[in-house]
Amino acid sequence: MNILTLLIFTPILFGIIVAVLPSAWRDSFKYITLLATLVQLGLSVWIYCNFKTGADFGGVNHEGQFQFVQKLPWIDLDMGAMGKMQIEYFVGIDGLSIALLVMTSFVLVIAALASWEIKSNLKGFFVLFLILDMAVIGVFCSLDFFLFYIFYELMLLPLYFLIGMWGGARREYAAIKFFLYTLFGSVFMLLVMIGLYLSVKDPATGNHTYNMVQMMNPANYQAGSVFSALSHQTIFGFPARAVGFIVLFIAFAIKVPVVPLHTWLPDAHVEAPTPVSIILAGILLKVGGYGIIRVCLSIFPDIASADAYWLGLLGVISILYGAMNALAQKDLKRMIAYSSVSHMGFVLLGIASQTTEGISGAVMQMVSHGFLSTMLFFLAGVVYNRVHDRGIGHFRGLASIMPQYTAFVMIAFFASLGLPGFSAFIGEAFSLMGAFKSHSVNGLLPYWMAVCGSLGILLGAAYFLWTLQRMFFGQVHLKGGSVWETALTDLNFREKITLVPLALMVLALGLMPSLVFDKVNDSVLALVQFFQHTI
Amino acid sequence: MHDLLPFLPGSLNNVFDSIPYFMPEIYLAALFILVLVTDLLFGSNSEKLCRIIACAGMVLVLFKDIDQAHLLLVNGQGNGHFIFSEMLLITHTAINFKLVIDVLSLVLLLYFAWDDRLAAHSKGLSDLYSIVTGTVFGLHLMTMAVNLLSIYLAIEMVSIGSYLMVAYRSESAFGTEAGLKYVLFGAASSAIMLYGMSLLYGFGGSLYLFSGNLVPGLSQVNPMAVSFALVLVLAGIGFKLSFVPMHFWVPDVYEGASTPVTAWLSTLPKIAGFALLINFLTPFIFFAKWTSFDFRLFLSVIGIITMIVGNFAAVLQTNVKRMLAYSSIGHTGFALMAIVTFTSTGLSALTYYLAVYGLANIGALALATYFANVAGADDVESYRGLGLKYPVASVCFVIVLVSLTGLPVTAGFTGKVFVFSAVYGVYQQGHNLWLLLLMITGALTTVISLFYYIKIPLYLFLKRSEIAENHIGRSNKIIILAISISFLLVLLGIFPDLLLKHL
Repeated sequence: MNILTLLIFTPILFGIIVAVLPSAWRDSFKYITLLATLVQLGLSVWIYCNFKTGADFGGVNHEGQFQFVQKLPWIDLDMGAMGKMQIEYFVGIDGLSIALLVMTSFVLVIAALASWEIKSNLKGFFVLFLILDMAVIGVFCSLDFFLFYIFYELMLLPLYFLIGMWGGARREYAAIKFFLYTLFGSVFMLLVMIGLYLSVKDPATGNHTYNMVQMMNPANYQAGSVFSALSHQTIFGFPARAVGFIVLFIAFAIKVPVVPLHTWLPDAHVEAPTPVSIILAGILLKVGGYGIIRVCLSIFPDIASADAYWLGLLGVISILYGAMNALAQKDLKRMIAYSSVSHMGFVLLGIASQTTEGISGAVMQMVSHGFLSTMLFFLAGVVYNRVHDRGIGHFRGLASIMPQYTAFVMIAFFASLGLPGFSAFIGEAFSLMGAFKSHSVNGLLPYWMAVCGSLGILLGAAYFLWTLQRMFFGQVHLKGGSVWETALTDLNFREKITLVPLALMVLALGLMPSLVFDKVNDSVLALVQFFQHTI
Repeated sequence: MHDLLPFLPGSLNNVFDSIPYFMPEIYLAALFILVLVTDLLFGSNSEKLCRIIACAGMVLVLFKDIDQAHLLLVNGQGNGHFIFSEMLLITHTAINFKLVIDVLSLVLLLYFAWDDRLAAHSKGLSDLYSIVTGTVFGLHLMTMAVNLLSIYLAIEMVSIGSYLMVAYRSESAFGTEAGLKYVLFGAASSAIMLYGMSLLYGFGGSLYLFSGNLVPGLSQVNPMAVSFALVLVLAGIGFKLSFVPMHFWVPDVYEGASTPVTAWLSTLPKIAGFALLINFLTPFIFFAKWTSFDFRLFLSVIGIITMIVGNFAAVLQTNVKRMLAYSSIGHTGFALMAIVTFTSTGLSALTYYLAVYGLANIGALALATYFANVAGADDVESYRGLGLKYPVASVCFVIVLVSLTGLPVTAGFTGKVFVFSAVYGVYQQGHNLWLLLLMITGALTTVISLFYYIKIPLYLFLKRSEIAENHIGRSNKIIILAISISFLLVLLGIFPDLLLKHL
């Protein structure tokens, strides 16, 4: 049994168990889910430890260099004149996926622990949670575009219900907005995907293929096909490859989210219950970033280089616009949501630089943000569960009634604003280094973008510190008065064992970034080389 | 009379030779008579018996369809075989369509009695079963008809059966209105079609689509005149397919008829209509010198408009059946996209898409029946909070609707992918702008369709209700049906080749 297959389908097995157990056992569902995520974490740590590094394991556009590969024929159809339809169950990982995979498994454990707060309709919640779990792991492992797309779309429906059924006051609006936004991006991705499929032929079998690795090789494109670089096809007068790239980019940019496609995010994050916010911010945003690297850039490297300026610009806009919005927010969860927009902007900036530093930084930033946003949303959930209010102005002097909580908040805030010693510093510094270097190495991004990016860090410090000052310091003054004061108990045991590993991870990655970089580096080098070859 | 004598033996031989190829239809005719006689003999107690006979007979017909396919294969007539002096053409595609029709009508025969409102009919359902078997005979003919005369007869046979079914239960004024509307629109459109056919006959001098001189003859005639005649005929077929602008009868009739009858109308005549459209178009497409009328352009424009109108109108609906009516118009538009490819890949994609659509639509309407039975709910508004009370049915409803929207992992998604691939394949060769527009519209309307399909899960699960709904009845059989349909849809979503490799 392939370990990746096991990793992908473990949650659904547990999901089936939860589904068939009688509702009288509903108290056990959360333990079953936690067990599922722990098993997954164990598997992914094992994968991490056994992941081989070296120039021979770069992956990206070399199918043989992927690890833990499983490739099975899935849909094999004789289509008459169009040859055989070749869709494979093809999973495998390289350096770009391994770090995100481990981070995802880790965050899922935290999300399962955060699910303790869910009180109604437990069976539905945990079944949907486990389906979502399967889908996100599947996305990071798939190397067949069709498989990737199925997992990608499969995330939507569980999320719709998770937000819509267990969310806050405006949950219906937030859920449908999220769903429509993402679906809008992905139906057009479907068209490009089919176009790519019909343009590419597997040299081994001579059939059209959905294999993403084959799509990266320009030699595999059929002469005269829509997306062949040599045939210069147009769609509505625009170069077909540019259209394909933009459509795919929009689909993933909605997920990331990149300003101006971010408007679903504050609503969805705020209305979702804590575990779902954690999954949304911690994992789903990374699906967007991962998709941009794995699909957009790797399949359309020529266009990515040509349009790098615009990608960088969007990144910078996201950084600044997200940060300024975060400054203006009065709701703690909304502030964190906008900080996510800002932080994910660094990912896009790093990717756009197409330098080793930039892309390593982008991956590092994704991993780091995965842990940090999880921590931040979990912390926001702690206050909300106790008094059902998250207004920043409604609290004052929390430090004196919840000292342990405040300690964790300070760790999370300082880590997020990029204090050296924590993971976000490494991620942001490397992304910016890439952006600075880009001008001299490949001339894709001008200096001012890196400068503006650095400004984002400053703004980040501003909104985090200001929030800290407003909510935690000073005299105790709560909107709910003494009722709140008794309700606001300090962290309990479950919350502490959730937060401690997160804080440790963030610190560990800040002190030993090699934990990520060692595994990622070969793939990043392979990717950068691949760019240089195609330009 | 004497002049015809030399031809008689030949004609007779042709008829006799055709009979082995006509077995499914002969069985259907016998079944129709059997059900009818049973109904007459046993009177009002015959309902159960009629149902058992009809279902058993339909299973038999299914096997005969498969025999028919074998017969074609054994005799090496892979490209099709004309029977009854070229009145009918049996092809692999036609048999596939017949199989789809028979399976779906079997499901429907089971489902009719499970609708409490329809089952409460004072005369019982025995007559309905005989009408259905008779109409399935007409549907079979529609898939094979290649002569203007046989086309007209087949369509009329289905129409008359459908008129009866729509008006079968009409205790409310709305139902009666629906029945009358359907008859009037149906009669008018078949008159239009007949006029178009007579023009075609006048221009081409033949009724035979494939042989004879019809298509070459028509290509000599003034293009305007021929186009006019063709549009009239297509309008008649369009009534069955319910594409825009021949769709105006759909919402009222679908809402007014009993739910199982709506399930019938929205699937079977439509599927047979597509089979007929293929038969009708094929001779024109393969006649190299045909320039008078651009079918691809015409059907593309119709397809785009149909997708847009159907889906946008559905957004505004609150009655579940009416919403599904508009959505079925949207699906017609999408299926037209597969037709305009005019390739064998397109045809198998179309068959797959329609089979899956039929299954999902019947599932959706069966679940609408379920909620009407157990909670008296017809509007999405009255579905409020029912999801937690009837979790199994509601989850099935979600799966069925996801399939209708075309999201993974359901058969609706794979159907969409196959149709898109077929269209893309043709687009890549010719770079026809209309094909591109069709695909973009198809993708865009998917998003719009989500907007209204999701309304049902929205009310079932997301909206909460304070009032405890009164429990009216139980419908366990529909649950079993819905579970089986949902299971099939998911199974085909993961392994579409289970079905597609046969098409």
